[in-house]
Amino acid sequence: MNMTTPIEQRDFKIVGKSVRRDDVLEKVTGEAEYTGDVKLSGMLHGKIKRAAIAHARIKSIDVSKALAYPGVKAVLTHENVPRVLHYGSPHPRSASCTKDQYILDDKVRFWGEGVAAVAAISEEIADEALDLIEVEYEPLPAVFEPEDAAQPGAPLIHDVGPGGNLVLDPVRINRGDVDAGFAQADFVLEGVFSGGRPHPAYMEPNVCIADWDGSNKLTFWTSTQTSFMVRGILAEVLGLPLTKVRVLVDHMGGGFGAKQDLFQHEFLCALLAKQTRRPVKMEFSRHETFVAGRSRHPCKIWLKQGFKNDGTLVARDMKLAYDSGAYGSHGPGVTIVGTTAATSLYRCENVRLEGRCVYTNTPINGAFRGYGVVQSYYALDIQMDEAAERLGMDPAELKLKNVVRAGDIAPSGHPILGHGLEICLQHGIDVLDWKKLRNRDRTPDPKRPHIRTGWGIGCEMHGSSAYPGIKEQGNATVKVNEDGTVTLLTGAAGLGTGAHTALAQIVAEELGVRFEDVGTIHGDTDVVPWDIGAFASHTTYLVGTAAKMAAGKVRTAVLERAAMKLQVSPAEIDLSEGKVFVITDPGRCMTVAQAMGPSRGIPAANIVANGTYEPTKSYSFAAHFAEVHVDTETGIVEVKRVIPVHDVGRVIHPIAAQGQIEGGIQQGIGHTLTEDYVIDKKTGRSLNAGLVDYKMPLSMDMPDIETIILEAAPDPGGPWGAKGVGEDPIIAIGPAIANAIHDAIGVRFRHYPITPEDVLKALREKAA
Amino acid sequence: MRRFEYHRADTLEQASRLLTDLGEDTFVFNGGTDLLVEIRERLRRVRNVVDIKQIPGLSDIIYDETRGLTFGALVTVGRLERLALVRQRYPNLYAAFASLGSIQVRNRATVAGNVCRASPSADTIPPLIADGAFIHIYSRTNRRVVPLAEFFTGPGKTVLAKGEIVTGITVPPAGDNSGKAYLKHGRRKAMELSTVGVAVSLTMEGGLCDDIRITLGAVGATVLRAPQAEAMLRGTSLDAATVKNAANKAMEECTPISNVRASADYRRDMVGVLTGRAIKQALEAFA
Ligand SMILES: Cc1cc2nc3c(=O)[nH]c(=O)nc-3n(C[C@H](O)[C@H](O)[C@H](O)COP(=O)(O)OP(=O)(O)OC[C@H]3O[C@@H](n4cnc5c(N)ncnc54)[C@H](O)[C@@H]3O)c2cc1C
Repeated sequence: MNMTTPIEQRDFKIVGKSVRRDDVLEKVTGEAEYTGDVKLSGMLHGKIKRAAIAHARIKSIDVSKALAYPGVKAVLTHENVPRVLHYGSPHPRSASCTKDQYILDDKVRFWGEGVAAVAAISEEIADEALDLIEVEYEPLPAVFEPEDAAQPGAPLIHDVGPGGNLVLDPVRINRGDVDAGFAQADFVLEGVFSGGRPHPAYMEPNVCIADWDGSNKLTFWTSTQTSFMVRGILAEVLGLPLTKVRVLVDHMGGGFGAKQDLFQHEFLCALLAKQTRRPVKMEFSRHETFVAGRSRHPCKIWLKQGFKNDGTLVARDMKLAYDSGAYGSHGPGVTIVGTTAATSLYRCENVRLEGRCVYTNTPINGAFRGYGVVQSYYALDIQMDEAAERLGMDPAELKLKNVVRAGDIAPSGHPILGHGLEICLQHGIDVLDWKKLRNRDRTPDPKRPHIRTGWGIGCEMHGSSAYPGIKEQGNATVKVNEDGTVTLLTGAAGLGTGAHTALAQIVAEELGVRFEDVGTIHGDTDVVPWDIGAFASHTTYLVGTAAKMAAGKVRTAVLERAAMKLQVSPAEIDLSEGKVFVITDPGRCMTVAQAMGPSRGIPAANIVANGTYEPTKSYSFAAHFAEVHVDTETGIVEVKRVIPVHDVGRVIHPIAAQGQIEGGIQQGIGHTLTEDYVIDKKTGRSLNAGLVDYKMPLSMDMPDIETIILEAAPDPGGPWGAKGVGEDPIIAIGPAIANAIHDAIGVRFRHYPITPEDVLKALREKAA
Repeated sequence: MRRFEYHRADTLEQASRLLTDLGEDTFVFNGGTDLLVEIRERLRRVRNVVDIKQIPGLSDIIYDETRGLTFGALVTVGRLERLALVRQRYPNLYAAFASLGSIQVRNRATVAGNVCRASPSADTIPPLIADGAFIHIYSRTNRRVVPLAEFFTGPGKTVLAKGEIVTGITVPPAGDNSGKAYLKHGRRKAMELSTVGVAVSLTMEGGLCDDIRITLGAVGATVLRAPQAEAMLRGTSLDAATVKNAANKAMEECTPISNVRASADYRRDMVGVLTGRAIKQALEAFA
C-alpha cells in the first residue's frame, strides 16, 4: 500500500528550473568576497600556539620572549583571558549539552589544542613568535580509544558531565519486546562495525576578523554556518548585550556541518582585537583545519538482528559508541540522532538501542553531513545484505520487503508524511534491470583477469530539520521596492550550496515576479531576521517555507494596492511575472512597479512582511546502486558507476540538487575507501593532518554518476512539497560500495575506510 | 609562512656565487613546487632562495639519435609530457610525467627539481635511472657529469656540493629493440605521491632479454635497483614463470618502511605485483 500523496502538478514559472545562480559571476571572476578577503587598515594577524602533547596540566607558561619580539602586539594565555565555561556546540538549547570548554585552560586535552595566542603586525611574525612561548607541561595519562576511555579507572578528561568520560548519559531506546523478537527468529546475525574519522576538508579554512569600534561594539567576520549562534555565545562569554556584537558572513567555501561550532580561535581573535585596539585576523592553515577543526565521530557499533526465514526482521539490538574527541561539541546531538535513526530505515517492531559518546584525548569531532547516521546506517544496511546472503535472496528483494513505509513512525517519533524509499529502490531496480545485472556472466575479462566486478545497493533516509532535538524556526523578511524589485532578507548562511538562489526562486514564484528581480540580503546579524543556522538539510525546507509565507503576505498587499489603483477588488486581479492584471480582462494591467510607485499625491508603498515557520520534520530518501572494480592483486577498489535514486519532494533547482548528490557521493566514496584522519594511538599526534596524506577523491577518481531525482513523496511542510537533500547523498553510498565489494570478491567488510591493504589481507585469509 | 630572502641570478656563475656566499640555509629556487611547500609546512629551514629561472640556456630540449634526449634544468615536466617524442620513445618517462601532481603543478615543476629534491618517492627518478640517464652539474671550478644512479646519497640527499647547480639531464637514446614502462601505485589517479613506483627498461635480442633494469621507488632511502631480479631475467625469454620469480626476488631486494600511506608489507607486495606488470607492459612494445 502506498499512502504517499502524489505531488501537485502545476505550472511553475521559476521553481523547478535551474536558473542561473545569483553568485556565479562573482565567483568565477574572483570578485566574490570571502571572509579571508576582508582587509582592514591597521589589521593585525593572530596565530595560535598549539600543544604538542595529548593530555597535560600546564605548569608554567612564559611569554616574555614572545612579547618582546619586534612586531608582536599581544599574547594571551589562560592566565589573562576570561575564564568562562561554555558550550562548544552552538545548540545550547538542546538540554543534552554539557558546558565543557574554556577559551584557554590550564589543561591540555588533545595534541594540537591551543594554549596561547599571539597578535602581530604580520602573519610571519606572529608565527615566529609562537616558537618563543615556553610552556612547561606536567604530562597526564591519556586515552585515545573510546573503549579505553570508558573503562573504570581510566584517566578522566573532564570534571564536568556525567562522569566516566561520558559526554552525555547513554541514549536508550526501547520499542516492542526485543527478547520475544529474538525468540521468534529463525536465525540471528551479529556483527561489529566501525567507522574511521573522515574530515570535511572544506575548501575555505576557518577564518575570522574582529574589530571593535569606539562604542565598544564588536564587528566579527567569520566563516560560519551559524552566525546567530556565534553572536550569542560570543556575547555571553564576553559579557556583552547582543546589540554590541555584529556577525558578518558573506560567501563561504563550504562547511559541511563542521562550521557550526564556536571555535577557540574566534574567542581569541575577539580578545586580541580588544586588547590591542586594532582589528585582528585569524586564519587556519590547512593543518589547523584538521587538528583544530571538526571531523566525523569515529564509531563502533555492535549490531545483532533476528530474522525469519521469509526475510522478516523481528528483533534489533544495537549498541553504538561514538568518539567525541576531547570536547563535547556535537557529541550529544550526533549520538541522539545516530542512535534514534536506527529505529528505522528497515522496519522492525522490536528494537533496543543504546548510544554512548565518550571523551578521548583526540581532536574534537563535531557536526558533519550525515550527523551520526552515516555510521548507524552503514551497519544496518550491510547487515541487511548479509541477511540476504544467508537467505539466498536477492538483497534488492529483501531490502524492498523491509524498507520503511507509510504509516511507520519516523525516528523523530512522528509519522512520516512523504514516504519515498520503496519508490526509489523499485525505480533503481527497474532502470538498471537489476535482476539481469545480478545474474550477469561473472567470468573475469581475460585481458584483466585480476579484476572482479561487483554491484551493491545502499539505502538511507534523513530528516530535514533537527526536530525534535531542536524545535526549529525559520524566518524570512520580504520587502517590495517601489520599482517592483523585491528584497529577501534571510539569516540562512550560504555555504556554497546555492541556498540563496533557491530561496529567491521561492519568493519570485510565490509573489509572481521575475527571478532576476529578487535580491537577497544575508549574513549580517544586525540586519537580517534571526536564524538558527544552516544545518540539518533544512534551509530550503524551513527557511524556504518562511520565505514563501512572507512572499505570500507581500503578494496580498501588492494586490490590494494594485486593486486600489485599478479600481477593482483584489479578488478580481492576479499577479504573474511582475504584472498585475484583471483576470477577466488581462489588457487592464499594470506592472508591480506601477502598483508600488508614487502617483498623483500618493507616496510609494512600503510593503514588508515577515514569515516565521516552526516545522516538525520531513524525511528524504535514497537508494544508491554502485558498481565497483576490485583489483585482486593490489586490493584497489575503484567505483565505476553510481546510480543514485533520490526522493527529495519538490525540486526547486535541479542542477543544485544534483550537485548536492554528486558532491555527497564524492565525499562518501572518500569516507568508504580512502579518507581517514589518523591519530597516533600512542601519542595522540595527528599523522596526516594535511591534504598530502588525507586522501579525498578528486575529479579523475569520480565514477559516472547518473542521478535520478524523483518527486514522488512531497512533504506538506516544505515549499510546494520540497524536502532537504544536503545530507542524504553521503549516507547510502558507503554501504552500496561495501555491498558491491562483497558482490565482487565475496568478502564482507564491516568498517570504513576499506583500504587496499584490508582487501588484500581479506582475500588472502579467504584463500587460506 | 616563514620569512626568507629572494635573490635572482642572471648567470650560473652568479647563482653559484650566491649559493656559497649566502651561507647555510640557501637553496636553488627552480619551479618552487617542492621548496615553497617545504617552507610553508616548516619542513625545511630556509633563509635565502636563489631563483635560477632567468638564467639563459637552461630551457632547451634536444634529441639526437646518438646522444639521446637532453633537457635543461628549467624544462618543466609539462613541456616534456606534451612532446610527441617523449610519448613515443620514452613511454616510461611519459607515464611518470603524466602522473606527477596535476596539470598546474606540472606546468611549474621541473624534472631537475624533482631529481634534486631526491625524494625516494619522486616519480621521474625510477624511469630515468632505469634508462641510464646522467646529470650535468655546474660549479665555478668544475663541470661534471654524473650517472643518475650515483647521484643520490639518501632521502633528500645528493652528491651536489655547495655552489653546484644541475644544468640538465641526458637520457640515452631509445633503440627499436627497447621496451619501457613505469607504474605508479597510489590511492588516487592524480595529485598523488606514489606508495610504490616501479620502472622497467629492457632490450630484447632474438626473443631473449638482452638487458634489463628494474628500479623501485618509495621502498628505500633512495630509489633502488633490483640487481638480483635483473640477473634472473637477463638471457631469458621473460616467460611468466621467470618473471614471477624475479618479481618475488625484487620484493626481497627492497627495504620499505611503514607509514600512514602504507605498511612495509603492503609496499613489498606491491613491488612484486608492479614488477610483474611493468615487465609485461614493457614487452608490449614488441607485440
Ligand atoms: C600539489 C603537488 C603535487 C605533487 N605531486 C608530485 C608527484 O605526483 N610526484 C612527484 O614526484 N612529485 C610531486 N610533487 C613534487 C614536485 O612537484 C616535484 O618534485 C617537482 O618536480 C620539483 O621541481 P621544482 O622545479 O618545482 O623544484 P623546486 O621546488 O624549485 O626545487 C626542489 C629542490 O631541488 C633543488 N633544485 C631545483 N633545481 C635545482 C638545480 N637546477 N640545481 C640544484 N638544485 C636544484 C631546490 O633547491 C630544492 O631543494 C608535487 C608537488 C605538489 C606541490
